[in-house]
Amino acid sequence: MDQAVYAHSTDNASTNSYNVTNSHNNVINVNNITPDEGPENMLWLSPLDPVRRHQDVRIDRLDGVGNWFLETNEFREWRSGEGGADKAVLFCYGSPGAGKTYLR
Amino acid sequence: MIDDLYDERGEEDTTIAMFYCDFRDQQAQTAINIIGAILKQLAVRCEVLEHLRSTFQKAKREVGSRGLRLPDMVQMLKQAVVALPRVFICIDALDECLPKHLLELLRSLKDILGAAPRTRIFLTGRPQVEAEVTRDFAARLMVPISPRRHDIKRYLENKLEMDPEPMAMSDGLRVDILTFIPERISEMCVGASAVPIQCMVLH
Repeated sequence: MDQAVYAHSTDNASTNSYNVTNSHNNVINVNNITPDEGPENMLWLSPLDPVRRHQDVRIDRLDGVGNWFLETNEFREWRSGEGGADKAVLFCYGSPGAGKTYLR
Repeated sequence: MIDDLYDERGEEDTTIAMFYCDFRDQQAQTAINIIGAILKQLAVRCEVLEHLRSTFQKAKREVGSRGLRLPDMVQMLKQAVVALPRVFICIDALDECLPKHLLELLRSLKDILGAAPRTRIFLTGRPQVEAEVTRDFAARLMVPISPRRHDIKRYLENKLEMDPEPMAMSDGLRVDILTFIPERISEMCVGASAVPIQCMVLH
C-alpha cells in the first residue's frame, strides 16, 4: 500500500478527539472528530480494524491448502467479472471448521 | 483467496477490501461499522480519500449533531466504488453477525451492487445463512466448502513437522495418522454440510 496517499491535509485539524458511537444507536457522530486522520486510523469511518485480522489469518494459513477452490468454475467466473451483476456475488458455505476462512 | 486476488490482478487496477465477522465482537460489528471498515480500506486510493473528506465536511456542516447514519455511509461507499475501476469486497463468517446487523449489511451490499454492478462480492458462512444471502442476491454463485483429503494431509504433515517431541512418535503411528485421519475426516465432511461436524484439522 502506498503510504503517500495517507498524507494528512493541513487544513482544519481542529481537534484530535473522536467520538464513534457503539452499536446501540448505529450513528457515527461527526462533531468531535477530524477527517484528517490517515486511513490507518480513520475512526470516524469505523472503529473496526479488519486488516489486522487478515494478517493473523495469513500467518496461520498453510501454503497449498484450499488451492482446489481457485480452480472451480464458480470462482473463475466470479473473478473474471464477465458475467456482470448475475455473477457478482459468490457465496461459499460450509460447516464450522471446514476451512472457509482459510481458502487459498 | 484474497492473496490470490492480489497476486493475479496483473495490470488491472484492482482494489480489495475485506472483513471478518466475529461472534466475540458482535455488538461492535454493526452494518454501519462494517461498511465503514470497508470504506477505510478503499480510502488508500487518493480519489476516494479526497471524496470522503469532502463528504465528511459536508455532513458536518449540514447534519449538525445528527451524525452519519447507515444510508450516509452506504452512499459514501457507493461513490467510492463507482470511482474505482474494479473493487472486490470479501466478507467472512456472515453467521457470526447478529441477525439484525446481517440483514442491514446484506441490504447495503445489494444497494452498492445496484449502483456498481462490476463490484465483486465474496461471502462465506455456515449453510444456515444461505436463506439470508438468497433473499438479497437471487442471482449468485455458490460453492460448498469441505476439507479435501490433500488439505488435511498437508495440515497433519505440518503439525508433525512442528511436533516439539518428535521422538515420542513412532514411524508406524506417523504413517497411520497420515493415512487414516484424512480418509475419515473427508468422508465425514463431504456430503454432511448441514451437520455441525467440527473438522478441527483446518483450524
